[in-house]
Amino acid sequence: MKKLVESSGVEVAFKEVDVVTTGTFGAMCSSGAVVNLGHSDPPIKIEHAWMNDVEVCHPGAAVDLFIGATNMSEKQPYEYGGGHVIQDLVAGKEVELRATSYGTDCYPRTALKTIITKEDLNQFYLLNFRNCYQRYNCAVNSSDETIYTYMSKLLPRFRNATFSGAGELNPLMNDPDYETMGMGTRIFLGGGQGYIIGEGTQHSPKNLNGTLMVKGDAKKMSPEFLQGGAFTGYGTSMYVGLGVPIPILNEGLAKKTAIQDKDILTDIIDYSVPRRDRPKFGQVSYKELKSGSITVNGKKVRVSSLSSLKMAKKVSQTLKSWIDEGTFFLTSPVERLSTTTIFKPMRQSEEIPFVYNVMHKAVTCTEDEEIQAIAKRIVTKSVNHIVVVDEVGRLLGIVTSWDVTRAMAEGKKALADIESHNVFTAKPDEPLEIASKRMAQHNISALPVIDIEKKVLGIVTSEDVSELLGR
Amino acid sequence: MARILIRFNEDQVSEPIASQIIIEYKVPMAILSAHINSKGGEILAEVPDTILEKVVNAFRQRGVSVTVPKLIEVDSDKCFSCGSCIALCPVEAISLAKDCSVEFDKEKCLGSTCSVCVDACPTRAIKSIKQNNSDSANREKKS
Repeated sequence: MKKLVESSGVEVAFKEVDVVTTGTFGAMCSSGAVVNLGHSDPPIKIEHAWMNDVEVCHPGAAVDLFIGATNMSEKQPYEYGGGHVIQDLVAGKEVELRATSYGTDCYPRTALKTIITKEDLNQFYLLNFRNCYQRYNCAVNSSDETIYTYMSKLLPRFRNATFSGAGELNPLMNDPDYETMGMGTRIFLGGGQGYIIGEGTQHSPKNLNGTLMVKGDAKKMSPEFLQGGAFTGYGTSMYVGLGVPIPILNEGLAKKTAIQDKDILTDIIDYSVPRRDRPKFGQVSYKELKSGSITVNGKKVRVSSLSSLKMAKKVSQTLKSWIDEGTFFLTSPVERLSTTTIFKPMRQSEEIPFVYNVMHKAVTCTEDEEIQAIAKRIVTKSVNHIVVVDEVGRLLGIVTSWDVTRAMAEGKKALADIESHNVFTAKPDEPLEIASKRMAQHNISALPVIDIEKKVLGIVTSEDVSELLGR
Repeated sequence: MARILIRFNEDQVSEPIASQIIIEYKVPMAILSAHINSKGGEILAEVPDTILEKVVNAFRQRGVSVTVPKLIEVDSDKCFSCGSCIALCPVEAISLAKDCSVEFDKEKCLGSTCSVCVDACPTRAIKSIKQNNSDSANREKKS
């Protein structure tokens, strides 16, 4: 469609093309499956249950379970999770089920252990409450340490970037006004056929961040298009293959489905800032993202995808072949996806403390001062940490009362001999809990608080933290 | 160019063996990675094919183990070509082919001395091979 519209125009494309198939294959954490086990004898009203050591939810009556994709195995956390259980079941493998209960008069059994396959289940529905994000952020890490996120491994100081999504192949991007999509739209789901059952959670159409809620018969799906995924340091997820056929009902849709990667922009977000609103470093197109490198802050950064474009193409091509063969029929939605839903942040009735809530003025010195003077300052100001700064107040190092004591014992006179240059710091708008963790992790008792130019704004100490927590 | 993994034991690290060989054979040896301390260590290096045999023999004569390392194994059944690993690779050994398959250049890969991609693979399809001394030294001759 993209090439046809470019070469022959929208009018011709509208006349010649009936359906455009789309596809995406990426980690979709808000996925899961509903299973009904049938009743055991004597029957049990399941209270807690595990499948292959992954805890599953018991949202309903006695023997209905929900396998959440991100629940992790108790024996192999971060490596095996709900997504893997679903993949194994779909693949026809045996899965161990354990369950416990408090026992009732009608459901006396209190413990259960059995082996099941998908054939033993009455229902096995994939039920994903947020799939197929219209587009997603590009992630970078400005900090000095490698971080492990749901956007995968991010190397320090912008040494790599990651992104997710199929760009011009994404279903929602090809029908951004949701003219053909809504409850009842038949789709390709996990290698089988499924349905859109409404807008996904966090659906945010006005920001081109639409999502889908979908359902399908997992017994008829394929483990190729439903795969468990493991994100080191973050947890487990499930990769879902999802494709939507878009009937070209009007010239407008011919034009919309001709959308190209260069027209789809997304934000470059700094995932090292542990806040809801993370700093942005401008926008980038999917064309640039797929090129392998982008420019962030004037620096070339290599970028790669977390979702598989190869599999996304396979989804859309498989869907196309089903339509050609007459084994897949398009449906008209009974209710279109909303174009007005707003995605709100959480209402928080209790505030959590941030570094700026407890930080106080740092006692400082310059590098040309003598240890004697610094020792005096420690006493008069009654502090344990002196922050070494340059003439404009930028952080150079730190000296503790212990360093000064040691200097006295060892007869050292120069500040340079005792000053630590490798200083762990905090930012004023960081949650205090994170700063506190950093102190514990590195076995230190204070962090200078600095701004983006390394200017010292204050200091936060472990005493500040314990004082706050002790209140 | 050929890749060799040179391994020193505890007794050999105090001698400037690599330097001696580089000078003696005038070999432009590119050191890709090196981890050596007082207990021994290893150097992953690239040597021109024309002089490879001489260099390998020189190391072996001095009692140093030289192997052609197998550095990485990728399970193609598990890999679905997401590409999470590509931008992490410091030597650009991983790339996306025309059909969007992820391809590994085993000649460029630094293997267990790097391993930065291994824990970023969501399907755990990448294994960097830990070298050990039992690796057949004869593999060298076959290459």
